[in-house]
Amino acid sequence: MSNPTSISAASPAKPARIPIREGLLSTPLTDLSAVRLMGSRCTSCGETSLGTSEVCANCGRDTVTSLPLSRRGHVWTYTIVRHKPPGDYKGPDPFVPFALGLVELPEGLRVLTPIECALKQVRIGMPVEFRAFVREPDGGPEVVTFAFAPSAAGEARV
Amino acid sequence: MSDVYIVGVGIHPFGRFDKSYEQIGSEAASQALRDAGVSWPDIQSAYLSRMYLPATSGARILRRLGGTDISIVDVEAACASGGAALRQAVLAIRSGETDLVMVLGVEKMPRGFMDPSMIYSRWQIEMGMSLNPSYWSMRAQRHMYDHGTTDLQIAQVAYKNHRNSVHNPNAMYRKEFSIEEILHSPLVCDPIRLLEICAPNDGAAAVIVASGSRARRIGRYPIKIAACSHTIARYSADFRCPADSMSTTANNPGPTQVTAQQAYERAGLGVEDINCYEVQDTDAFCEIEIYEELGLCPLGEGGKLISEGRTEIGGDLPVNMSGGLISKGEPVGASHLGQVVELVCQLRGQSGPRQVADAKVGLAHVLGAGGNCAVTILQS
Repeated sequence: MSNPTSISAASPAKPARIPIREGLLSTPLTDLSAVRLMGSRCTSCGETSLGTSEVCANCGRDTVTSLPLSRRGHVWTYTIVRHKPPGDYKGPDPFVPFALGLVELPEGLRVLTPIECALKQVRIGMPVEFRAFVREPDGGPEVVTFAFAPSAAGEARV
Repeated sequence: MSDVYIVGVGIHPFGRFDKSYEQIGSEAASQALRDAGVSWPDIQSAYLSRMYLPATSGARILRRLGGTDISIVDVEAACASGGAALRQAVLAIRSGETDLVMVLGVEKMPRGFMDPSMIYSRWQIEMGMSLNPSYWSMRAQRHMYDHGTTDLQIAQVAYKNHRNSVHNPNAMYRKEFSIEEILHSPLVCDPIRLLEICAPNDGAAAVIVASGSRARRIGRYPIKIAACSHTIARYSADFRCPADSMSTTANNPGPTQVTAQQAYERAGLGVEDINCYEVQDTDAFCEIEIYEELGLCPLGEGGKLISEGRTEIGGDLPVNMSGGLISKGEPVGASHLGQVVELVCQLRGQSGPRQVADAKVGLAHVLGAGGNCAVTILQS
């Protein structure tokens, strides 16, 4: 480990924030309340897919433009993950069961996402809202991840 | 197109064994050679279906049968690996270059949930999106919402398959469970429970594939491969691991529908001609969805099919006579060829207490990561 006093008297630079996946979140990541999920819309076939991309995931053409996706949607389906997922899961330790679902957004896609709510509360059609947040630190740069949570406003849709 | 036949089959039981994958594989391969009445030097090329084994596993396994210089190729297409490998053998024979090919499926898998880095991106693993049953469960949840499919119907699939497995010496679990035991087993991912999902495990299955003229010379129970199709899901057509989103507008048909349609057309056969099915029941709900997508019933009515008992061995549409993956376990590379071995035995009339009366045509189906799907139709 480096000794801060031996490098500089100034406080060390705050580590840069990085998105959980490149191209998934709008930038900058400084004001988390302004961060949105990003999508790619193809002007040839009209399909919108998750994350920024050079080519359309449907037709393969490069006629794609990126766009921030809506913050509000509704739960299209869900499950409760009751076992710790295998691999390097970065959620709470010890593991806490959580809701995972597909949230339908008005841009024409459903996004796989954790849903932050009481496990008994989650329902198909439940209105939810996007939330970006900094993951529990583990020594590296701050990682910005996301979830959806029940939104106060909005009608239930299916 | 020239006809292609299966002239010999072999299987190593599916389960957990203190044996190397080379041992498990070579036992199944030797059994298939004996069943066909041919010897290892008669085989002109070989394909190994596998997902979790090291490079050139096929050659490592088959050299145990004796030194050789034939082409041995490892094939991987997730849960559909066996179908993809069998298809290569069919094409090799149709090319005229070979007339006797071995297709071997082998797997030896770590216990518990599968290594997620094989199919998921790092960010998905970190966010907790790497539990395969969660994808199955989300499909089940929506199907229940749209079509009124019930927990009981899902449990009935598990009940049927566990009960069938009692008669299958090659299955890992051979115990009958009551509906109550299934419905009270712990939830893994709502609404899917522990006794409603399959476990990854070890196992092997082998088939010897021959041209028509070679099959006639060998002369033992040739079973025709009426079709062997492998496809991957069209854009956004299948919500299955490791998908991160779905289009609401693309409306492409699912991989089971597409692959089955291709196989039905190539075989010149339809559901009305098929007497028995072995399908991908990685979870009990999945079997209900597959009834619909194979065309056994209209979309949304799969739950009714199980409730009415039509997919039991004595029903008019028997499915998973072997006990399915729920009771056999899923050694990924071996699972489709295991289904093919089951169907060959059914069409030969050798299946004992789980025999479907007068079975003449059988269909095997697998579906997995990335929407890899294979459908094989066999005809006696």
